Amino acid sequence: MSAAKRVQQWATFARTWHIFDCKWQDPYESANLIKKYLMGLHKPIYHPMNDCGDVVVCVNSRDIALRGDDWKQRAYFHHTGYPGGATWTLAWELHSKDPTMIIKKAVYRSMKGNLQRRHTMERLLIYPGMNVPEDVMQNVTNQIRQIRYVPVRLDHIPEEEVKSFPKVMDYPENYVLK
Amino acid sequence: MTSLFRTGFLLAKNSIIASSVRSLSITKPLNLKEIREQQKGQSIVIEGVIVPSPRTELLVRNDSVTSEDGKQPCYMCSLGLDVKHTDVLILSQFVRSDGCMLPRRITGLCSRQQKKIGKMVTMAQKAGLMINLTPGNCKKDPKKRFGYKKFNTYFDESTIFVKRLPKQEDRFRRSGSMYFN
Repeated sequence: MSAAKRVQQWATFARTWHIFDCKWQDPYESANLIKKYLMGLHKPIYHPMNDCGDVVVCVNSRDIALRGDDWKQRAYFHHTGYPGGATWTLAWELHSKDPTMIIKKAVYRSMKGNLQRRHTMERLLIYPGMNVPEDVMQNVTNQIRQIRYVPVRLDHIPEEEVKSFPKVMDYPENYVLK
Repeated sequence: MTSLFRTGFLLAKNSIIASSVRSLSITKPLNLKEIREQQKGQSIVIEGVIVPSPRTELLVRNDSVTSEDGKQPCYMCSLGLDVKHTDVLILSQFVRSDGCMLPRRITGLCSRQQKKIGKMVTMAQKAGLMINLTPGNCKKDPKKRFGYKKFNTYFDESTIFVKRLPKQEDRFRRSGSMYFN
C-alpha cells in the first residue's frame, strides 16, 4: 500500500469532530441534522454494522428557539415506576432546570430505538454556553452549518443603518409624530 | 314645569358644547407635525411644529403594478416583498415609538396586509427583536421576562392566515383536512 493510499485509509475511518452552534435553532429540526453526523449517514462507507459515526459538539444549547408557543405547550413525560409517579414537565421548566436536556432528548428521539442508540448518544457532547473544555475543542475540525437564520435585534443594528434603510411606509401629511 | 326647565337646560348645554367641539383650525391642518414643549421663564410653551417627513427621500414604491380591474393595489401588495417577522428594519416602520402597530388610516395598507404586518409585529415583539420599541415600563431585556417568555422563540409566517391550528388530538381524527380553515 502506497503512502497516499494509507493516508486515505486513515482519513476514511477516522472520527471527525463537528461543532454545531444551537443559537436560535429549533432542536427538533437540528436533531435530524445532528443525527446524520452522529450515525455517519453522510459517509459513503455507511453501513449499520459499520462503526463510522462522528462526534458532534453542540454549543450554546441554552439559546435554542422553539416555534410559536411550544415552550409552554410541549410536555416531557417521566415515570418513576411507582404508583402515581408520573410527571409532566413543560419544555420551559425542563430547559430552566437543565439547558442541555431538550436537545439531547430531541436527538435521542430522532434515532431508531436499537442497541446502537445509547452508544451513538455517547458521541454527542452538549454545552449550554460557549465554555467548551480545551481537550474537546482541540479535536474539532468541522462546523455544521446552521439551519435557521439567526435574527438580528433592532437595537443591535447601528442607528445610522436603521435611518438610511429604504422606507416602505410614509406618514400621512397630518400625522403627529410620537 | 320641570321638563320645560330640563329641555331649556339641555338646549343651552348643547349649544355651549357644540361650539367648543366644532373643529375649527387656524393653522394649516395637513402637515406632518411634531409637538414640542419648552419652558420660557415662568410659562410653558407647547407648539405643533410642521416638519418635513424624514422618510420621503428613502421611499420605495412600485407603481407599475395594476390589478385586473384597473385599480392600484396597496403599496405593500404591489412591492411583493416576502417579509418575515425577523425583518425588523421593515416592521419597525409600521409601529409607534412604544412598539404599538399603527392603525390602517395611517399606514394606508389594504386590510389583508394590515393584518399580516400587524401579526408579524406581534411576532417580532414576542421574539424580543424590537425591544427598543416598547413601552417605558418594559425591562428591555428578553432574558429577564417571566417564565416561558424568557427563552428564544421563532414563528412560522404561514400560520398567520390559518383560521384554526389543529390540536394534538386532531391527529387521531379521520379527515384531517376538513379541520383546516
